[in-house]
Amino acid sequence: MSTVTAPSTSPPRRASAEDLARKTERADRLRTWGWRLAGYLFFLGLWEFSSGRLMDENLLPGPSAVFATFADLWATGEVPSAFATTLTRIGIGFFLAFVVGVLVGMLMQNRWLNGFFRDAVTIGITTPGLIWALITAIIFGNREAGPLLAIVLTTFAVITVNVSEGIKSLPKDLIDMAKSFGVGVLKRNRHIVLPHLAPFLFTGVRFGFSIAWKVTVLTEVFSSSSGIGFEMRTATQLFRLPEFLTWILAFYILALFLEKVVLEVIERRFFSWRTSLKA
Amino acid sequence: MADIKIVNLHKEFGAGADKVVALDDVNLELGGHVFVSVVGASGCGKSTLLNILSGIETPTNGQVTITQEGGPARAGYVFQSARLLPWRTVMDNLLFVQEDRSEPTRQRCQRYLDMVQLGDKGKKFPGELSGGMQQRVGIARAFSTEPDVLFMDEPFSHLDAITARSLRAELHHMWQETGKTVVFVTHDVSEAVELSNRILVFAKGGRLAEDIPMDLPFPRESADPDVALAKAEVFRTFERIGALTVR
Repeated sequence: MSTVTAPSTSPPRRASAEDLARKTERADRLRTWGWRLAGYLFFLGLWEFSSGRLMDENLLPGPSAVFATFADLWATGEVPSAFATTLTRIGIGFFLAFVVGVLVGMLMQNRWLNGFFRDAVTIGITTPGLIWALITAIIFGNREAGPLLAIVLTTFAVITVNVSEGIKSLPKDLIDMAKSFGVGVLKRNRHIVLPHLAPFLFTGVRFGFSIAWKVTVLTEVFSSSSGIGFEMRTATQLFRLPEFLTWILAFYILALFLEKVVLEVIERRFFSWRTSLKA
Repeated sequence: MADIKIVNLHKEFGAGADKVVALDDVNLELGGHVFVSVVGASGCGKSTLLNILSGIETPTNGQVTITQEGGPARAGYVFQSARLLPWRTVMDNLLFVQEDRSEPTRQRCQRYLDMVQLGDKGKKFPGELSGGMQQRVGIARAFSTEPDVLFMDEPFSHLDAITARSLRAELHHMWQETGKTVVFVTHDVSEAVELSNRILVFAKGGRLAEDIPMDLPFPRESADPDVALAKAEVFRTFERIGALTVR
């Protein structure tokens, strides 16, 4: 004898608006990444095809040759060592530029000191990095002071302008609120002034860093005896194009890593309240 | 409950031809479990008075002392807009004005959030709340320091009528429950009559024109004839001091 039991049915779960929104967002992200990947494949493919067919492969080595050279240079330790040198220079130079930039930005709140620094900051912002790289190369040769000074001169003004704007727009209503509750000056600075300035500082760092990065490599090309820029110069002089392109690739990977990983992680960590605002 | 003593208070802004007198020789004493409303036309010095009382601004002349049983009194302030730190959660906004972040302090903050019916919103950022909710957080913040005196500067003027009405009822309830001294600035005469037991009318030029006691029993409904009469009296005072004159 067989018994037939009705299959147990659970009520179908209705997709909430939130679920739907999340699904749409995920699909959207996947599509964006798909197109991005397609872009990479297309241009790398075009490059590989051109090498040896449209142009001599000694003049335009394909991506496969460049990646192979990259792996070789990585294995010999040349890439990590050049990375370390360049990054150390950027780190020290940018730290100095940050300190100078913040200090000048704070001093410029005074009317007279504003007049004192204003044109210097304008010159700092408008002068191309190439000019500072050339001047410091002529004055300092291959000494470390060259790239460091070039970074400070090209970057501090970006930080200064941002800090200055941040200080000008300090939220007086919040500071008054804190005063009325008897909150002390240190606590006010920590919880109101710093969080208010953070996005301005972050914008300054982001722009400043991208400038510092380029000018460092430029000074290395002109006058250093180590670092990514120096390796590029050597590769050019010896007509080793796969090596030259390898260093460009290294440059690109590092810039992408700093921009997409380091800075974005910092942004997510410190500015989550703005994301909630958008939501 | 605090005691507030104001002697010959005078405040000016600007100098020379641009000089504006915001408060002119104000003398006043108030204290105990009172709800004092300060009313008057725009620019008559209501908010300046509150800013001086709370220490945000300093007087040009005169003296203000706020004491609690002879010692210094603690004050809380509710502003026209909520003035919350957008980068801190609701709970952290309350904790920001406390002296410590201990467990009892947290529990006290939570209690006041519950009181304004936002007990479950402690982890939200202000930007995620409606304007009315933000204003309630501002009220909870002021009460959470358990101040001896509470200053409120047109706290409901930016809100829609329904939200403002329910918050007024909440505020009255909290005032009765906690027994604080409240100084409440408003331009809304109905609001002043329904909430206060004393109304100070300020005239243009920052002069204290009238001090009207309000002894009607609570709760006060706006339809109640006694409440309507009291409002009429305040308006008559406005007329007498020239605050209603249209030129």
